[in-house]
Amino acid sequence: MSAASRRDLVVGLLLLAVAVAIPFVLTTRYIVTQATLFFIWAIVVTQWNLVLGVGGIFSLAQMALFACGAYAAALLGYYLQVPLWLGIPLAGLVTVLVSMLVGLACLRLRGPYVALLTLAIAQVIYIYIINDTDCFTNPPSGCMPLFGGVRGITKFGELGFRDLFGTKFYVANYYLTLFILLLATLFSIVIIRGPMGLAFQALRDNPGYALSRGISRFKYQLWLFALSAFFTGLAGAVYAANFRAVGPDVFSITLLLFLLSMIVVGGLGTIWGPLLGAAALMLVDEGMKEFSDYRNIGLGVILAAFVILLPQGLVGALAALWRRRRSRA
Amino acid sequence: MSDVLIQIVASGLTVGAMYAVSTIGLSLVYGSLGMLNMAHGAVLTFGGYIAYYIITTLGLSPLVGAPAAVLVGAALGLAIYVVAALPLLRTRAFETSVFIATIGIGAVLENLMLKLFGAYPLPQPLAAPGGIIVGRVHIPAQNILILVVSLALMALVAVLLQRTRIGRAVRATAQNREAAQLMGVRVGHVYALVLAMSGALAAVSGIMVSSLTTLSPTMGADPMLKAFIVCVVAGLGNIYGAVVSALLLGLLEAIAQYVVGVRFGFATLLILVIVVLIWRPYGLFGRRQVVRL
Amino acid sequence: MAEPLLLVDSISAGYLGRNVLHEISLQVEEGSLVAIIGPNGHGKTTLLRAVSGLLGLHGGRIALAGADIHRRRPDEIVAAGIIHVPQGDMLFPDMTVLENLQMGAYLPAAAARMNQRLDEVFALLPKLAERRSQVASTLSGGERRMVGIGRGLMAGGRLLMLDEPSLGLAPILIDQIYEVILRLRAAGRTIVLVEENVARVADKADRIHLLDNGRFVWEGAGSELMSRPEILATYLGG
Repeated sequence: MSAASRRDLVVGLLLLAVAVAIPFVLTTRYIVTQATLFFIWAIVVTQWNLVLGVGGIFSLAQMALFACGAYAAALLGYYLQVPLWLGIPLAGLVTVLVSMLVGLACLRLRGPYVALLTLAIAQVIYIYIINDTDCFTNPPSGCMPLFGGVRGITKFGELGFRDLFGTKFYVANYYLTLFILLLATLFSIVIIRGPMGLAFQALRDNPGYALSRGISRFKYQLWLFALSAFFTGLAGAVYAANFRAVGPDVFSITLLLFLLSMIVVGGLGTIWGPLLGAAALMLVDEGMKEFSDYRNIGLGVILAAFVILLPQGLVGALAALWRRRRSRA
Repeated sequence: MSDVLIQIVASGLTVGAMYAVSTIGLSLVYGSLGMLNMAHGAVLTFGGYIAYYIITTLGLSPLVGAPAAVLVGAALGLAIYVVAALPLLRTRAFETSVFIATIGIGAVLENLMLKLFGAYPLPQPLAAPGGIIVGRVHIPAQNILILVVSLALMALVAVLLQRTRIGRAVRATAQNREAAQLMGVRVGHVYALVLAMSGALAAVSGIMVSSLTTLSPTMGADPMLKAFIVCVVAGLGNIYGAVVSALLLGLLEAIAQYVVGVRFGFATLLILVIVVLIWRPYGLFGRRQVVRL
Repeated sequence: MAEPLLLVDSISAGYLGRNVLHEISLQVEEGSLVAIIGPNGHGKTTLLRAVSGLLGLHGGRIALAGADIHRRRPDEIVAAGIIHVPQGDMLFPDMTVLENLQMGAYLPAAAARMNQRLDEVFALLPKLAERRSQVASTLSGGERRMVGIGRGLMAGGRLLMLDEPSLGLAPILIDQIYEVILRLRAAGRTIVLVEENVARVADKADRIHLLDNGRFVWEGAGSELMSRPEILATYLGG
């Protein structure tokens, strides 16, 4: 095992140990649920980081895929009474299918085109959902458009943790989400350090060589896009299960800004960058609650400033500091 | 039936002309810098707000308001060059980085407007009253004004690009940057000029768009997206193709809205765009900008 | 001895952190025709790009008529009088022949003499006059080469650098190109030529420099080179 992989393993195990211990040390419900939310965003961000930073795919559709997972789980539960235990992995698969459609349409094109098309597709889905006023069903609570319309979807089932764990059900949510984050991070590591990561590096640094070795950008990107969509969809489904409600607010630009900042602040293309960025931004967000007016301005400034001044992110800055320390010793 | 046709053509051309104006700026910026300016929508909106502020709040004449908005737009474009493009130009991941940076800058501008002017939609004062009757259809004077102004601006840009020395330098830089440098062109200045022009055009576009609807801080997102789609369909960097595509798209959108309703108009348009791109990944008029692997 | 027009002093340059040129030096006297030969990929184009400012140096200095130019921008170096006609022409594809030529005279000093220069270039390269309204991307290979050279001449300049002017052309066209080059030389212009085909330059150049693996391994007059078959064999494959 290489030094880098060994280091990854150590860091990963440490973080895992800390994460497992948290609900026993910091027992307030608020902290545990915020941590769960952090895990959810971390899953999305690690996958988006793969797509954007490793695969070089300018996708702005990540949030739409997240929403896809959330809505899929909710719809399956609401209309077909599919229990969430089944609904969550199914939502992941649905998201993979959707992502493949999007990928087939967009990925043959060059970078900027992909960005615009994915943004446009996300926008279209959003517009459709909020403008759909036809009542698909008419329950006692009122007119219900197919995808829930502006009000969203609730009452699509439960994970059953309340029955099993009573008032501590949120801890069960915590561990479930942590488990998925673990899988997502392992996936991320495998991709970055494995042959796919190497292939993408070749495509970036020496496209001619890559082509001559039969590495097709389109095929690799499509695979990466689809596989990372699975975890993104899972995250969305777990989000829905956690809050027991899903609405078009998951398409908001603010949320996109928030998550994009996590990647940039952490370090685009790195393994631990997204996690670090997610933690950093959630902490800052928590601390700045009073200034929520300026939240978006702050996010915009952070995004631009980091990309321009500290492009390697916090991970890069820390690595540089570490290197300087070692060269002095 | 012909009434409907006139209606569609009138609104389609107007909207198309508006798209064309802001698309030219985007296309120029991408053609010469390789940069997708995601702050374009915010600059567009800012132009509308400046006009509002000067005319409504300060009570000055539109003859002051409109040029002021244009100047502010140009200044914002220049600022984006200095803050985002210039520092990142030498880096390897320029396209991605500047894309993200302009997303951030756009968010800052948008929320600044939100803080300064509030979220409540405001009426754009720069609007012409009345209209004319064609057949049995009433065409608002504002639409005609927009069409005339757009055509005038496009002609101005064309003259600038085709017949002036600096215009030649801009086109040369877009077609081959290193060769332009070898001719003695200071490409940094060209980039600044192009971004300033793009900002000025965006501001005008913002005034026009808000005159047809209302002024709100987030109104720029939709026109920006549509302008980008026009660019993509035309082939990023192709300016004349962009103008033609903008008009076409305006008409198509009007038809689509009539046929499937406003709600699905954009969606239908998008599906058409995707089909076009699968068939012609270079865009309709583009060349070798895209690699099919 | 008069100061050389161009002085390249122990420069190193390259891409992505690695050097392609390793501390090479070169002097070009005013009014002379200097040829740089050597196998492909060994740094000839890199050298020209370093001189014209498209590539920064990792070490050393470059001076034009005594004044340092290696830290200046490409457009400043052009203004100082170094004209680089790049390999592969690099024309502006959507502009006409005339517009390409006009871009050659972009700088104010040259622009003031635009019409005069156009006349001169058309006199030297009559084909261009015929095709002045034709869009560059529709030209043939030989015509493109002419436009590239004509464009370089529009600027005036003190030093003209041509990167592989015979690349990809039929022999008869190469003859024409070299005829033009010799006429320029006869008119007193200083020319640096990068050429892969040794035979073409051996009898024409005042001085030849052989660049191999980023180092100058031989320099001398053309006649000397042709009488040293071992050099020809080793570096240039006979």
